Amino acid sequence: MEKVKVMIVDDSKISRAMLEGNLKKTNFEVCAMAANAAEAVQLYAEHRPAVVTMDMNLPDADGIECSQRIRAIDSDAKIVMISAMKDASLVAKGREAGISAFMQKPINTNDLIDTLMMLCQNKVGKVAVLRESYAKPFARALQQGLFSLVGVHSEVEVELDERRFLDVSGVAVIIGLTGYPVGRAIVSMEADTMHKFSMIMLDKESLEDITEEEASESVEESANIIVGRGVSNINDIFKDKEMRITPPGTICGSNIRIASPKLTTFRIVAKTRIGDISMNVGFAEGD
Amino acid sequence: MDAKLVNPFVDAFTTVMPQMGFPEPKRLKMNVREQNAVSKGVSVIVGFTKQIRGNVVYNMTEDTAKFIASTMMMGMPVAEFDAMAQSAISEMSNMLTANAATNLTGMGLEVDISTPSLSIGENFQVKISDAQYLTVEMDLAGHVVELDIAVEQQ
Repeated sequence: MEKVKVMIVDDSKISRAMLEGNLKKTNFEVCAMAANAAEAVQLYAEHRPAVVTMDMNLPDADGIECSQRIRAIDSDAKIVMISAMKDASLVAKGREAGISAFMQKPINTNDLIDTLMMLCQNKVGKVAVLRESYAKPFARALQQGLFSLVGVHSEVEVELDERRFLDVSGVAVIIGLTGYPVGRAIVSMEADTMHKFSMIMLDKESLEDITEEEASESVEESANIIVGRGVSNINDIFKDKEMRITPPGTICGSNIRIASPKLTTFRIVAKTRIGDISMNVGFAEGD
Repeated sequence: MDAKLVNPFVDAFTTVMPQMGFPEPKRLKMNVREQNAVSKGVSVIVGFTKQIRGNVVYNMTEDTAKFIASTMMMGMPVAEFDAMAQSAISEMSNMLTANAATNLTGMGLEVDISTPSLSIGENFQVKISDAQYLTVEMDLAGHVVELDIAVEQQ
């Protein structure tokens, strides 16, 4: 994937170095760093970065004024404000100045990358944005959720699933996603894994102590928690695009195929000692 | 659940299907159900959020699904319930649910719907509610489409 150019505007040398460090192993490349507004405008014109990170306090102007000056040379400039303070009036003023996103120091690298990806959608491609900004937060939620619910460690992989269907023998919990992007998440596992999962979750001694209903309901409740957490991970970053989850629909049986026409789908698999636990997240194509 | 929330779904079905070339559907029977639904072969789930939360399932046999897909595709023969036919049924479910959502909005309820999830298989169970929910059977040119409606007003 082609590197995406970022310009950092910050009067603190330490902050600049930290941001540069955050972006080092990513798809983003720092093409310029400015310590004040005048330098920022000049370097922007020279390098035309895809996105700018903007500090609020600069020696010769504030971040909002600096953003206005950059937007005067390029009305499409993508700017994310990174400041120690973040309040409603700052966000409102910033929006008027054309700033697209606001983050508070200290910055979490994942959040920063998610935000930059989101702002540069056109440059990095829709699938990459969906993967980084939407599928990966679900993968983190799956890994964390499995650990907190049943104490199992897992290796989690995320990959684009181009098959357009999912075959299930066991249980599948379908949870709709509304807002932006619209879609659905399906948490599934084989019957054997489901029983073991439920046994641990309900603290039972043996598999015989678990009814079918308890087993599928354990998975249903866990899926609800995990998908909910994934959506919270996303909403924490994109505060203006609230995503919501529908109540779960749970399917049990053998040889069930769940089709996903018109969805860009990612397969997230957690490999655990009780078996594979998958989460298939699909987002509507189109807009 | 409140029985008045069923009408938006039934109305959507009777309004939308004729627009796609089907004869006027007839409402057969309505039941209250507590257990899981058993899929007739093809089941599409669509979820609701905001002032209405829950799910609706469009449940039908594969034969019915093929008949619907064929009619939607201007009478093109559908021998297998393949990706194209699945896509048609998903689209129908999306249209029906979006229309029902509009009807609910007309009742002053703000709603949002998810994308449809279409499942195919034999005798699998579908659980959409912990409580009682309503099922309505609709007759569509001699075929039966069951609507399982489990939605609650928030």
